[in-house]
Amino acid sequence: MGRRHPTRSRVMAHAGLVAGIVLLALPLVLGDLYLVRIFTLVGINLVMVTGLSLLFGYAGQISLGHAAFFGLGAYTSGFLTRLGWPWVAGLLAGVLVAAAGGLLLALPSLRLKGHYLAMATLGFGEIALFFFTEAESLTGGSDGLREIPAAAIGGFSFDTPTLKYALVWATAALVLLLAANVVRLRPGRALRAIHGSELGAQACGIDTVRIKTQVFVISAGLAGLAGVLYAHYIGFVSPSTFTLNLSLILVAMVALGGMGSLSGAVAGTVLLTLLPYADAIIPGLSRDTVAFLQDWESDIHGLVLILVMLFMPGGIAGLGRQLAVRLRRTSRTAEGGAS
Amino acid sequence: MENAELLQLAIAGLKNGSIYALLALGFTIVYAATNVINFAQGEFFMLGGMFAVFAFKTLGLPLIAAVPLAVVAVTGVGVLFEVLAIRPRRDGDQMSLVIITVGGSLVLSSLARHLFGSDALPLPEFTPGPSLAFAGAAIERQTLWIWGLVLIAVVALTMLYSRTRLGRAMRACMQNREAARLMGIDTGRVVMISFALAAMLGALAGVAVTPLTSTRFDIGAGIAVKGFAAAILGGLGNPIAAVAGGLLLGLIEQAVIPFSSTLKDVVAIVVLLSVLFVRPQGLFIRERKEKT
Repeated sequence: MGRRHPTRSRVMAHAGLVAGIVLLALPLVLGDLYLVRIFTLVGINLVMVTGLSLLFGYAGQISLGHAAFFGLGAYTSGFLTRLGWPWVAGLLAGVLVAAAGGLLLALPSLRLKGHYLAMATLGFGEIALFFFTEAESLTGGSDGLREIPAAAIGGFSFDTPTLKYALVWATAALVLLLAANVVRLRPGRALRAIHGSELGAQACGIDTVRIKTQVFVISAGLAGLAGVLYAHYIGFVSPSTFTLNLSLILVAMVALGGMGSLSGAVAGTVLLTLLPYADAIIPGLSRDTVAFLQDWESDIHGLVLILVMLFMPGGIAGLGRQLAVRLRRTSRTAEGGAS
Repeated sequence: MENAELLQLAIAGLKNGSIYALLALGFTIVYAATNVINFAQGEFFMLGGMFAVFAFKTLGLPLIAAVPLAVVAVTGVGVLFEVLAIRPRRDGDQMSLVIITVGGSLVLSSLARHLFGSDALPLPEFTPGPSLAFAGAAIERQTLWIWGLVLIAVVALTMLYSRTRLGRAMRACMQNREAARLMGIDTGRVVMISFALAAMLGALAGVAVTPLTSTRFDIGAGIAVKGFAAAILGGLGNPIAAVAGGLLLGLIEQAVIPFSSTLKDVVAIVVLLSVLFVRPQGLFIRERKEKT
């Protein structure tokens, strides 16, 4: 993946920030509860995809099992808060368990590359799903866990859609901000170096094993965090959420946005999460169109994966970069003509 | 446990194992030609059963016509998939190709849901009748069909590899694609034929097993993991090792059943992960050179 000029990456980061703030404010300004709900889902996915983007988009380590970490976070926190644990404790436990799962998978997987890693993570996801379904005393089996309390800090409960929305987006913004700093600084360069050539990165003195383990654990932890947010937002978790399909959608979001670009990942997440709810964004969309989009969602995700790899390997971010280069070139030739 | 019971488990293990073997062969053939794991391999299996049910139920064809028709149709799907989705990026990096096959798997299974619905679809046995008794154990007639078809497929494949010009070209690609190309072998054709063969073997497995298990649009991913586990257990890239891995995996699964029948479904994944982590070159391959 092409490396960006630092100033331009800052410009893009700012553009992303502005876009983010607009997105954030929109549902509240409009006061539309449907929009608030959908954008809460966008925020939750964003936390998860940010983690996957660090792992897959930046370090080039694919995971087809991220739904497992999402589920670990959701179930852990759901289970503990139902026992009466405070939400913050459930949150920490959820993130820790997911991160520990990431460590468990990362240690032996580090030697695996490409399709082997893809298969290993896919297998891990399937085992997690099996565990969610069969460990009935912990997970409620295929019925799942019901009546998970809303998030609460101290005596303050985030129990209205607007408050939940605010909590999710505050978390998502924080995560994005941290991630944007991580990728801009030394660790981000190390990740990209590993993506480019692992051997080369090693030769430059990067401890690739350590960095890869760290990014795997962080990525799993972020998915766990998203899982915690999800469990206390919906109030109900069941195995049917944490399937291979979800893991693939997340990969599609990163790929559509463009490998090695956080703002791209944001765009990919927003687009693909909104796809089945397009009527919330595009007014006057016929019900048939929405039904079609919902019915054909998986086909579209699959096509996105294929078409992006075939025709725009840089994803949305790559298109943006190409556009910027072309614009600059035309302006430069215009200047050249004048002088 | 009594001998007859053991024998019964072994029969079931070898039945499932030969299905895994066909899928493992599909993985191995495509891997040998392209160095890529085809994540859509399970969908060929699913489509085989689906097309057969469609030809039999909807078109009203007799089974003897519906089954070969389904296999041929899925072979066509395999070729189409290669031409449309793989060929344009055939020389791309491995990760892109992996993602393309993952996308292909999603598209094929969702299309199958649109075309054939989301219910489990049954198919009658090829030759209905009571099970055959063998040393105190019962063998379903369909199991014999499965073994027969697998045997024919393996023999035909062996002949193809050892006796024909195309087979020589495929083996050359397996060893070193670049060198094969330099020797004048049309590697592009080999890749296309590999996908066709993989689709055909997957469809054959799917058609043969559907009378026993019925089929559904979403069974592809699960069976693909098992087929891949078999391939990796034997050693990826070696057809004989793939078959051995498939049979072994089938037997291991049955060996777990007396202890816990729910665990049977994750045995393949546990085997897959253990082999990947401990001995990624497979059990039956002495050393593996990482191809680039």
